[in-house]
Amino acid sequence: MVVRRRQSIPDQTVRSSELTPEKEGELSLAAPKLGLVLSILAMFLVPFFYFLFVRYRMEIEIHLRLSILVCVAISLCGFVASALLIPVAARYLLRRNLFGHDLNKRGTPQGATKVPEALGIVTGIVFLVVAVSVQLAVSFLQYNLTADSDWLVEYNAALACICFMILLGFVDDVLDVPWSVKLVLPLFAALPLVMAYAGHTSIVIPKHLVPFVGQSVLDLGWIYKVYMIMLVVFCTNSINIHAGINGLEVGQTVVISVAILIFNLIQIGASTDPDYKKAHVFSIYIMLPLLTTSLGLLAFNWYPSSIFVGDTYTYFAGMAMAVVGILGHFSETLLLFFLPQVLNFLYSCPQLFGIVPCPRHRLPRFDPQTGLLIGSSDMNLVNLFLRLFGQCTEKSLCIRLLIFQAFSCLLCFGLRSILAGWYK
Amino acid sequence: MAVRRRPSIPNQTAAPPNPDPGGDPQPPNTAPSLDQFSLAPPKLGLILSVLALFLIPFFYLLFVHYQVESDLRYYISICVALSLVGFVFTVGLIPVAARYLLRRNMFGYDINKRGTPQGEVKVPETLGIVTAIVFLVVAIVLQLCTLTADSDWLVEYNAALACICFMTLLGFDDDVLDVPWRVKLALPFFASLPLMMAYAGHTSIIIPKPLVPYVGLSVLDLGVIYKVYMILLVIFCTNSINIHAGLNGLEVGQTVVISFAVLIHNLMQIGASTDIDYKQAHAFSIYIMWPLLTTSLGLLAFNWYPSSVFVGDTYTYFAGMSLAVVGILGHFSETLLLFFLPQILNFLYSCPQLFGFVHCPRHRLPRFDTQTGLLTGTNDMNLVNLFLRLFGRCTEKSLCIRLLIFQALSCLMCFGLRYILAGWYK
Repeated sequence: MVVRRRQSIPDQTVRSSELTPEKEGELSLAAPKLGLVLSILAMFLVPFFYFLFVRYRMEIEIHLRLSILVCVAISLCGFVASALLIPVAARYLLRRNLFGHDLNKRGTPQGATKVPEALGIVTGIVFLVVAVSVQLAVSFLQYNLTADSDWLVEYNAALACICFMILLGFVDDVLDVPWSVKLVLPLFAALPLVMAYAGHTSIVIPKHLVPFVGQSVLDLGWIYKVYMIMLVVFCTNSINIHAGINGLEVGQTVVISVAILIFNLIQIGASTDPDYKKAHVFSIYIMLPLLTTSLGLLAFNWYPSSIFVGDTYTYFAGMAMAVVGILGHFSETLLLFFLPQVLNFLYSCPQLFGIVPCPRHRLPRFDPQTGLLIGSSDMNLVNLFLRLFGQCTEKSLCIRLLIFQAFSCLLCFGLRSILAGWYK
Repeated sequence: MAVRRRPSIPNQTAAPPNPDPGGDPQPPNTAPSLDQFSLAPPKLGLILSVLALFLIPFFYLLFVHYQVESDLRYYISICVALSLVGFVFTVGLIPVAARYLLRRNMFGYDINKRGTPQGEVKVPETLGIVTAIVFLVVAIVLQLCTLTADSDWLVEYNAALACICFMTLLGFDDDVLDVPWRVKLALPFFASLPLMMAYAGHTSIIIPKPLVPYVGLSVLDLGVIYKVYMILLVIFCTNSINIHAGLNGLEVGQTVVISFAVLIHNLMQIGASTDIDYKQAHAFSIYIMWPLLTTSLGLLAFNWYPSSVFVGDTYTYFAGMSLAVVGILGHFSETLLLFFLPQILNFLYSCPQLFGFVHCPRHRLPRFDTQTGLLTGTNDMNLVNLFLRLFGRCTEKSLCIRLLIFQALSCLMCFGLRYILAGWYK
């Protein structure tokens, strides 16, 4: 669950009546960590362009390459827009008492700072504008989605879902709805997708299980739609609970979306089926804006965080990735990329279901003297890493967890290539 | 612009009306317990009568007067049924949401009751978010029931949902963050982008017969200019409802009247036509207008005079966008503009103040006289004050009713106009 919860409102408004600055201009965020973020961006663009221009030079038509380039260009504009709008929005959010205190710095001066919350709203809105602009720009080129009615339905359904999720996430951040309501919000937001999904609802049975099942392809029908909804609810909430450290929520999204983008490009290059290619192009058109707007957010959210992202961001990111996995027909691969989130969820189950006592925040303990985090006995990956690998600073812990995320994505690439012959 | 603006936050939290300066640090107006707050009961009698007043002519036209295909009749009836469920949910959720919104300091004071005890009450703001979310859920579920997976209308339907959802998001952001006026104007532009992408209909207009000799063509293809017209229509519909506001129940009331007029128009066009595509366009509009109508009625139950909740820019933008979307995708935007006649008049009349030629105060509201309980018209240039100046002072409730009757009459007049002009115009 989100860990940077603002204190209960009555106390806060009492105190804030003296502390709230009369002039909004007084809030100035720490400078964004642009060096870090731009290096990450470069590190991603290099392999991406390698695949696009060198490795799959023959396989990807010039129009498709151009469309993807246009998408990259507009997404980069989205990056700039996010980075510029976040300080502006932060002022307004702080003025409206949407802030939290960094619990992992309690006891130090930084622990008393009011950190603006719910900045995911900026990312979400810029994402939506970029995603639509990409489509409008690409409609002048040949390889566009507007010409093909089937894909236009799915694209609009995807936009509607993601937009609805951002709306519900932001309402949650503002109104602080009860936990049980929070869980079902993704269900409602997923409905446009379920209505519009016109793809196959059958799954391929692994070769070894065919004798038992009796068929090699099983049509699940509406059960597949239930699976889609569960995937959405899972992706959104799993990012939400694998959180609590500065930069973890955005960081994991960045890692996973890079993995998805590389995967998409490889699939486009390796395939000759135009429908299959379209599915992965569709995914690129949505993942690139997600990546760049998230990087804009990370510039401010990386340790030490000058802003918090809110449930708005985790739900938005989870929904975007679930949507591309479903509409791009690679949801099993998506789940492989989500391995750390799956492990975290499974490990957290006893506490989530109340079998083991579950505190409000399942955070590590912060020692103000040493500045290190110590693992508590809470059952999540954050504390597990601290218990296994010893105390460390918040920044190192986050980096370790993100390296774990990156390794499991790499592992999945390897797994896929090994299993491809064995599995299907 | 929205008129029930909460006082600027520093003043509000820094100066609680606590007469004891040195004492109790907890201001009395902080709401420590959610349970203490309860809304006035909804005006269900009024709303249900209005609803019945709509259902009777609608069903008469659907089942008796026109020979509509049975499957279309079936889908429309499902639409009405689901929308009524939406009505119940809206009425149920508003009190719940109001508590949460009040807890988060989203409230305003009723400026038209300043000086009376009611002017001190903290009225929860932005309840339009409930209406919009219930609308979206109903509209999505309706899609499952009425459209098949390979329908051409699926694209337009999803684009419409995306637009309305984006507009709601931006409207809610505006209500929470209180963005500057210039940004507010531009928000509908961004929200209309999915529509631009999805619109695959004709972009040509029919030149009125009398003008054909001058133009030289009878049908003119506007191409990209038509898309610009669409964006302008969206910006107009959303903002015009926003500025024709300020009285309890006016924003929701005008939406209810206009959407009902649109529904009757849709049904008449379905009945009078034999073109499948044309009928589908109007059915599409019905599927969006009915949820808008019923969820708005749910909101009106609490917002009608005296208002226990305020609707916020969330509602006016959401409603304006929904109406613009059906007008565009249903291909009857000229008729829609006719229904918006009072809003057009209000906008034109307001121009001098909006553009700064005449001094424009923060709220262009009438003056409230605490002794008589009546509103007196100021010199502000909008319909609200114009009606007060022309027809004399009256209570807020009567003024709102007069304005809504004006809205209804102009819709009726438009039906008449269309009927007369149909032969002459096209």
